Amino acid sequence: MTLPLRQLSPFCWEIPRRGGMRVPGRVYVTEAQLAALSADRALEQVAAVAHLPGIVGASLAMPDIHWGYGFPIGGVAAVDAEGGAVSPGGVGYDINCGCRVITTQLPVDEVRRNTHAIVSRLFATIPTGMGAGSAIPKLSRRELRELMAQGADWAVARGYRAGADDATHCEEGGRLQGAEPEWVSDRALARGADQVGTLGSGNHFLELQHVAEIYDPEAAAAFGLRTGEITLMIHSGSRGLGHQVCDETLHELSRVYERFGADYAALPDRQLACAPIGSELGTRYLGAMQAAANFAWANRQVMTGLAVRAVAEAMGLAEPELGARVLYDVCHNIAKFEEHQVDGQPRRVLVHRKGATRAFGPGDPRVPEAYRAVGQPVLIPGDMGRYSFVLAGNASAMTETFGSSCHGAGRLLSRTAALKHARGRDIERELASRGIEVLARGPRTLGEEMSEAYKDVEDVVDVIAGAGISRKVAKLVPLGVIKG
Amino acid sequence: MRLRHPVPYEELDHTADAGVLVRGDSKEETLGRLVLAYADLVTGGAPLASGADQVIEVEAGDLAGMAVDVLRELLFHFETERWVPESCEVALLDPERGARVVVGTGAYDPVAHTDGLVLKAVTLHAARFEPEGGGWVAAVVFDT
Repeated sequence: MTLPLRQLSPFCWEIPRRGGMRVPGRVYVTEAQLAALSADRALEQVAAVAHLPGIVGASLAMPDIHWGYGFPIGGVAAVDAEGGAVSPGGVGYDINCGCRVITTQLPVDEVRRNTHAIVSRLFATIPTGMGAGSAIPKLSRRELRELMAQGADWAVARGYRAGADDATHCEEGGRLQGAEPEWVSDRALARGADQVGTLGSGNHFLELQHVAEIYDPEAAAAFGLRTGEITLMIHSGSRGLGHQVCDETLHELSRVYERFGADYAALPDRQLACAPIGSELGTRYLGAMQAAANFAWANRQVMTGLAVRAVAEAMGLAEPELGARVLYDVCHNIAKFEEHQVDGQPRRVLVHRKGATRAFGPGDPRVPEAYRAVGQPVLIPGDMGRYSFVLAGNASAMTETFGSSCHGAGRLLSRTAALKHARGRDIERELASRGIEVLARGPRTLGEEMSEAYKDVEDVVDVIAGAGISRKVAKLVPLGVIKG
Repeated sequence: MRLRHPVPYEELDHTADAGVLVRGDSKEETLGRLVLAYADLVTGGAPLASGADQVIEVEAGDLAGMAVDVLRELLFHFETERWVPESCEVALLDPERGARVVVGTGAYDPVAHTDGLVLKAVTLHAARFEPEGGGWVAAVVFDT
């Protein structure tokens, strides 16, 4: 299906309202990126999301947009907090899949000669891949429920930390207050019991990086980023527990959502199945989803403690000598109640971000005090062979995108196509020749996740910067990667 | 009719995830092939030793929904018990009465099955189960 598109700016295109769309679609891409989108059905999904009951403003898509389930990856939708609908498909299976950057004061030259030892120690310490478990002892149901109530603080209290202010430097302080751990099923608990502190698989990774370039010295100074110093980046989520919460809700919703009214029955895609926010099912999902989000923060926090320990051991240093601290931690897959300006008026909305990052601008009280003058850190992982970026949120994000930005490079090739490109190549050796040591569960992972499978993340962040939503602060280049 | 791993299937090309499409002469055979295609994705095509039988039962619904539900159950068992289906016999597949599938379990071996995909969820996205020609076709996309 070809959708009509209207260019609003060099970086933004509108899908005008038609049929049952309640709002227009708005896609942040260049003309060249738009042409590439015709290969899948992501634009149709932007239009489909515009049918959600209670949606306000526009159905948005960030420049890393690609085909998802119901929502496109890179999709953002805000619905009225009272009369709107919550859609598990607008959050995704991996609830609070997210990204964290840990800064250190280690100089790259000292670390480079120890890269092999560090990457090996990280790989041995943090379980990766299929059903990876047992980074820490398996948790009981009571312990899991405590963890889901406390989020990142649960792990900090148990000694898994980089600095003293780790949780403060997470979106929402590493804990959503609306979590209802009792509403997380026994099956979800069973899947998550031995997965705290584990990376998972697919595009999840832990990278040893260095700061290669600074674009905004003031913001970089506020964020503690200095050229030539080492950072760690973690990309992971709520593991099997979050998947089970989403799966069970979608299963239940798919059988009943049409009964919520004509607006719901008319949704163009079953994977958009949603429930009124105030309904029993909507309330139950929101409580369980927020508990799973807290699980993800605890997971990344435990990995932070394990990674700092692993790097210190590999370098023969005491942990404090690393000067490690959490720069920030952002959610990629989440729905959160926030206040935004809609049609010039403040309004409480539920913002679905599926493969998108919160990007609040300078002065916002929801940004940690240390960063408030420059805007929220926005962490954008790239692929394992090139680079990642740290951005800062701009004020215009608050008026344009409900304070949202892109979340990564976005896939360019399917896994099958990537494997075809990788055939006959030694990806591990290719990366090594560029000074990047990678350890993964198997060669298939390396083929599926090779650089060419992703868009160049710099092209993606340049759109976000060009549109004024966030600005570039620093470029991080990998030295070593562990993957599932 | 009991089917055994491996069976032929088509891999669907999806930007970020993995999907399979199977065909069979009957709807029961088609579901059985779908179950074993799932096993093949998880094991990367490597052989499985056969173990004890397990019975998977799901509630009545449309055929695509029941197929997704059978795979959801299998994925949960894999995540918590580390087995995948080595063989499969569909005893019941009826939109009015539900589905009952007997699977022979095969232990997952992280070394032998290292080329397998990590499937995290079974989606309704593009799920289909319908007559085609004189037989049946079914397709499912997995979150990876």
